[in-house]
Amino acid sequence: MTSAPTVSEDSGFAAWKEDARKRRTKNWILLGATILVLLWCIHDTIMFDTDWERMGVLGVGTAIGRFFDIDWSLLPRLVVPAIETLMIATLGTILGCLFSLPVAWLGAANVTPSKLIAYPIGRFLMVLSRSIHEIIWALLFVGAVGLGALPGILAVAMRSVGFISKITAEAIENIDSKPVEAIRAVGGNQFQVMYYGIVPQILPVIIGTIIFEWDINIRRSAVMGLVGAGGLGLLFFRQMAMFNYGGVTLVVLTVLLLVALGEVVSHFARKAVI
Amino acid sequence: MRHDLVSNMSGGAGITRSGLAPPLLDVQGLGVRYSANGPQILKDVSFSVSGGDFCAVIGPSGAGKSTLIRCINRLVEPIEGSITLFGQDVRKLQGTGLRHMRRRIGMIFQEFNLVNRMSVMDNVLSGRLGYIGPFRSFFKAFPKADVDHALYLLERVGLQDHIAKRADALSGGQRQRVGIARALMQRPELLLLDEPTSALDPKISRDVMGLIRELADELHVPVLCNIHDVELALETCNRIIGMQDGYKKFDGPTAGMRKQDLDEIYSMEVL
Repeated sequence: MTSAPTVSEDSGFAAWKEDARKRRTKNWILLGATILVLLWCIHDTIMFDTDWERMGVLGVGTAIGRFFDIDWSLLPRLVVPAIETLMIATLGTILGCLFSLPVAWLGAANVTPSKLIAYPIGRFLMVLSRSIHEIIWALLFVGAVGLGALPGILAVAMRSVGFISKITAEAIENIDSKPVEAIRAVGGNQFQVMYYGIVPQILPVIIGTIIFEWDINIRRSAVMGLVGAGGLGLLFFRQMAMFNYGGVTLVVLTVLLLVALGEVVSHFARKAVI
Repeated sequence: MRHDLVSNMSGGAGITRSGLAPPLLDVQGLGVRYSANGPQILKDVSFSVSGGDFCAVIGPSGAGKSTLIRCINRLVEPIEGSITLFGQDVRKLQGTGLRHMRRRIGMIFQEFNLVNRMSVMDNVLSGRLGYIGPFRSFFKAFPKADVDHALYLLERVGLQDHIAKRADALSGGQRQRVGIARALMQRPELLLLDEPTSALDPKISRDVMGLIRELADELHVPVLCNIHDVELALETCNRIIGMQDGYKKFDGPTAGMRKQDLDEIYSMEVL
């Protein structure tokens, strides 16, 4: 025997129904608004901004096809920039580590010299480093110290500070405070407390992070040359300017090879450390 | 009646003190609270420690034993009272002065407080940090005399076969032996023990306390030891300070301690 359940006036069923209706209306409005915004974006960017004249299977196909005719004659000229790219990444990472030390010290809540002044400064520097793109850093340093590998190294270093110092600061915040207390109790000074009590605890995390950052920095230093800051990027830029698409492909392949190499090295290096 | 008992006991403590010589450590009217509105952890605690004392601080959990020990080398800052150690006012010390005071005080911790990722040898040598300069600290290049002394101490605590191992590769009892060697590495003039056995099993606890007792006697170092194992305290120590709820309830030689004194100290737990 099934019959429609009787619902009393004050059961709240009516209120629930009213709520559900409102929710449905709200969802429809949200969906409609989202579609409108999407259409607006597509119209203004893709529809309006694209050169539809050159589109066509043949045109696009030949344009892409040009890249597959690899210009192997460029190979001997790739060696030096490739090595330079690795050097920029390595020196940039080391310099970045040195810059990260004071930043991590300022920005770690449990060791910062002052929570009111130093801590916000440290945190701000971390954000600053990461919020500015490596190309922008490179442009800044090319402007400051001229063309060459040096601005690339500085740019990579500045861009590395954010990540390394943030991870370091977090590692410092998570240490076991008991050994620190012991070093204080034997009469150790501030440096000794950090060097004997804190550093051994955070070292594996830090080294892992540095290797990871070096891996990323190979990618970064490969594009530094686009703004004149050394490495493979400069060669890439030149091939592009000469419309030598086969050369561009070869440079890209070299970057790929370097990045893969970095990946392999960092994988084994991190395994060895941790 | 309680008042009588306490005053009798503190009078009795005078027997262990060495006659006319001023005590090594003298604490008067010590008070501690961790925050301005927090509960007062220690209330008007006064006692002194001299030459041959191996003094246990006993009492129920939360009585302030650990806080009391930590006040002596200022790991905890008291709010009132005075602490006179080696003739100096500990509460007035700052910076270098405080570090120089701390390096004369060896401390052994409940959870050993070793640097786990460092070798046993480096952990022991770190007891010398108060005496070595920045260059030696940076390169972990301790003077030969220190290394020799560390080897001697490691042999004395029975760890001569574990010198190069990492501290976290040892068992609890072995780790505490590293802690003992580190404290003795300071050539301390006073040893503070903060629950040195509560992370160890009963058999190992007795071994460790026996070892500390033996070394302290041999080196003539007075000991102030906070311990919750009453039996072990009575076995090892020649003097007892009883704490309860931040007050000192008993102070006297172990030999003069009666069953009712113990009941008095632990009366809170009965309630």
